[in-house]
Amino acid sequence: MKKFVAFMLLVALTAAQPLVSAQKRTKSQNLTEEQRIVHVLNRLGFGARPGDVERVKSMGLENYINQQLNPEKITDTVADNKVSDLNVLNMSTAELYEKFPQPGQLLRQLQARGMLPADLAEARENRVKGGANTSSAEMPKNDSMPTQEMSPDAARNNQNPQPPGNPLENEKYRKVLQDYYRENGLQQPQRIMAELHASRILRAVYSERQLQEVMVDFWTNHFNVFAGKGADRWLLPSYDRDTIRPNAMSKFSTLLQATAQSPAMLFYLDNFQSVSPNANANRGRGPLQRLLAERAPQPQQQRRGINENYARELMELHTLGVDGGYTQKDVQEVARCFTGWTIFQPRGGAAAVNAMRSGEGARRNAGTFFFNQRVHDDGEKTVLGHKIPAGGGIKDGLTVLDILAHHPSTAKFIATKLVRHFVSDNPPQALVDRVAATYTKSDGDIREMLKTIFFSKEFNSNEAYRAKIKRPFELVVSAIRTLGAETNGGPQTHQWIARMGEPLYGFQTPNGYSDAAESWVNTGGLLERMNFGLALANNRIPGTKVSLVKLNGDQSKVMDDYLKTVLAGEISSATRETLLKQLEPADPVTKVVGLILGTPEFQRQ
Amino acid sequence: MNRRFFLKSGSITLASVGMSLSAPSFLERLVLGNETKTGKRKTLIAIFQRGAVDGLNVVVPFGESNYYELRPSIAIPKPASGNADAAINLDGFFGLHPAINSFKPLWDSKRLAIIHASGSPDNTRSHFDAQDYMESATPGLKSTSDGWLNRYLQSKKDPESSLFRAVSITKTMPRVLQGRESAVAMSSISEFQIRAGKSSENLQNGFEAIYARENDSLAGMGRETFEAVNFLKKANPAQYQPENGAAYPRNPFGNSLLQIAQLIKAGVGLEIAFTDIGGWDTHVNQGNSRGQLGNLLQQFSTGIAALYQDLGPRMDDVVVLTMSEFGRTVRENGNRGTDHGHANAMFVMGNSVRGGKVYGQWPGLKSDQLYEGRDLALTTDFRDVFAEIATRHLGSKDAKSIFPGYSLNTSKFKGFLG
Repeated sequence: MKKFVAFMLLVALTAAQPLVSAQKRTKSQNLTEEQRIVHVLNRLGFGARPGDVERVKSMGLENYINQQLNPEKITDTVADNKVSDLNVLNMSTAELYEKFPQPGQLLRQLQARGMLPADLAEARENRVKGGANTSSAEMPKNDSMPTQEMSPDAARNNQNPQPPGNPLENEKYRKVLQDYYRENGLQQPQRIMAELHASRILRAVYSERQLQEVMVDFWTNHFNVFAGKGADRWLLPSYDRDTIRPNAMSKFSTLLQATAQSPAMLFYLDNFQSVSPNANANRGRGPLQRLLAERAPQPQQQRRGINENYARELMELHTLGVDGGYTQKDVQEVARCFTGWTIFQPRGGAAAVNAMRSGEGARRNAGTFFFNQRVHDDGEKTVLGHKIPAGGGIKDGLTVLDILAHHPSTAKFIATKLVRHFVSDNPPQALVDRVAATYTKSDGDIREMLKTIFFSKEFNSNEAYRAKIKRPFELVVSAIRTLGAETNGGPQTHQWIARMGEPLYGFQTPNGYSDAAESWVNTGGLLERMNFGLALANNRIPGTKVSLVKLNGDQSKVMDDYLKTVLAGEISSATRETLLKQLEPADPVTKVVGLILGTPEFQRQ
Repeated sequence: MNRRFFLKSGSITLASVGMSLSAPSFLERLVLGNETKTGKRKTLIAIFQRGAVDGLNVVVPFGESNYYELRPSIAIPKPASGNADAAINLDGFFGLHPAINSFKPLWDSKRLAIIHASGSPDNTRSHFDAQDYMESATPGLKSTSDGWLNRYLQSKKDPESSLFRAVSITKTMPRVLQGRESAVAMSSISEFQIRAGKSSENLQNGFEAIYARENDSLAGMGRETFEAVNFLKKANPAQYQPENGAAYPRNPFGNSLLQIAQLIKAGVGLEIAFTDIGGWDTHVNQGNSRGQLGNLLQQFSTGIAALYQDLGPRMDDVVVLTMSEFGRTVRENGNRGTDHGHANAMFVMGNSVRGGKVYGQWPGLKSDQLYEGRDLALTTDFRDVFAEIATRHLGSKDAKSIFPGYSLNTSKFKGFLG
């Protein structure tokens, strides 16, 4: 008995080990050409569409990889057309403030200018009165999200927090508000994120620039911004379009500076309101101050102190890594360097009201980066042993970014993250070292680092093949692609990604979504993956349409066809037999496909 | 024979599933999971306030003049009758934030204990590191692979262990429960099944067969998933009605607590429950008695008070513990908020708790008493609080293995559990 227990313990321990490749292979086996193609389509992109494997085979795998490394040379008409209806993508932040105002903020501004229609005023009043929320005094403020942070639970469930107030009156208020928005050509701000989500899904599904989309996803997580924080939902379309996308395969230092000056990051990590405590004496009422004073007075926007949040995360999460060799003193000094890096009209001022009243909306530069010399700490600083002389102004922050981008810890940290993403949850140290060396040699050229990875023996090894568990976004997109389904990327599709735990721009803390299997494989998450496959195969996701063709032949022929399409035919004979046993002759093809999408094999890439 | 061995081993899982479906005596034993051979099963409900709650405005040291000097715009006023915005007097020195007045009856009946100036001895002010350390309970050591609640499960093998011995009401498995022993993460009980209308059962059978065949750990996770699904169906939680007039707030946190109460009452053998509530990172415009922090505290406290009421006499065997990764700066910052600090306050609640007392040595708020010149100093290591609960409530005989590298000593226990 004792022996038996010991044996069972061994079994138990083996089973509980971190997730590794489904098929155990010996090192001597090399990937077949077809496997290499499937591997590249999975890792450099979001999986194969019907016909992709053959296409890559005929053009040559190396050519395909090189093509993907140069996305600017790939025409992408289909994806461009798919996102052409998403107006948000082409609007400046100022326009977004003008057309998608926050209801609470809008109503306050209308009231302040005597423009609040009586029915809207009454509906709002009734909603607040006798509400279930005892702190009703806070209601108007609470209603105006720009100064409040959305609770992460709300984000987790991908819904807006329950509005405070009297639930019976909520419905009426919503309707009156909706009418007012429609009559004035406005839209609710939730629409912004819905369109941004759609664009990410559509491009991942349809773009020929697959690697570009993978890198956008990678950097969006590396430089994470949470849509639920204050004004960030208005700032994120610009973040995706102007900060991440153009730099996803450029130099790391360029990308780093773009994020440092992006309003989305400045807002998310509070740097936009970090000011030198000694700067008050210099603050006259120059033209800039008068401009700023045009906004309705909001005491919480007064800028009175230094904020270390960005400085710390910049080093811990964006560059050096937590053990990268900086101290609390460095954090304080870096924070001093970035004082004055801020956003012009961070919440858009009264853009919507001004547009309605006088036709003059937001100033064109509302919600954009600017350096405010008046609140900058211009004294001497020391960062990681480098002396930064007094009087540097905006150059202080740029110098810090330069120091960080050229620090060996950054090379190591970025290399580790890239290898973990593209190769394995346990990044092979030898490859990490080579990628870090490429970083140093090439001045942080992202493309060069990717090349080092893609043409390495570690990437092309059996150990790496299907060794990564797909994250929910990857799972949803790859399922749509493998079936050749059509999607509009709408909220119901995004809802599934959220349900499995990865709402886009929905990770509250700055570290971004995990890239390791243990964060994604748990009982609840796995169940949702199976449910997603069934919903997709049965066309129960509005906005996404699958046309499954039941080919002639018996169930085993139908099944084998789909096993070939979805899993490149790679499934153990035992699982194939089990699958086949589940199928009655009369079972619809949706059942076959639903089951295949839910197999352990399809969760891997 | 430990049941977990059945679940983890690929070759005999079918037998195990078959047994759980066909052997009512086995199921019955699970359904009666609150009774064990050694008496009633004890349950811990651990709640993480992610983002670092400002403990100094939750359990207010109104007896400290420095508190008011350093927090000109966000301090909670001293207790004063008739002032609903004032702190609720606890012991003449500490008071509760007025938004958590639903805890006052628990304090008065000595079921609520507070451990102030507690937390992690590590000086990190990073949310991620500090949460990591609090969940691994190895401050300063990042390489620890499992969470302390999972190590508790490992330390106390339970031959009658239920699949629902440890449940996290979160979308993903939290660090604190990751590890060798299995635990279940779910966002809601009712959605925890294959949802395909009339074909649900048929498809579930199909998936079960597929996942039973394979040997990798993903398949192992699949097998556990379906065991959990099947068991929850038997417990029939859809019919749930809160008792004793308990009214859970209608927000995600209240809903999570309601799910936990359901699981406890369904007798699924729950020993460790976990959930979290975020939004405490109040760098800007924190508010005082009202405002951002007050609103969150209200969600937090009314949810827990409802849970307490709902569970009624079951609270004899349940302890609720709240924690947050670190406290916040004593001095308010330039944005009427507070920045990342050090020590914090923890709540422990339950009918077996020696409540009505603020435990721990109070370090004071004078400038020379502050940690690194800015934060509340630490006088109680969170591991002493965790260990006291693991030992005296959950009955662990081997708390040392839960807190590796820490010199555990019962003499350091605060004594909030008898």
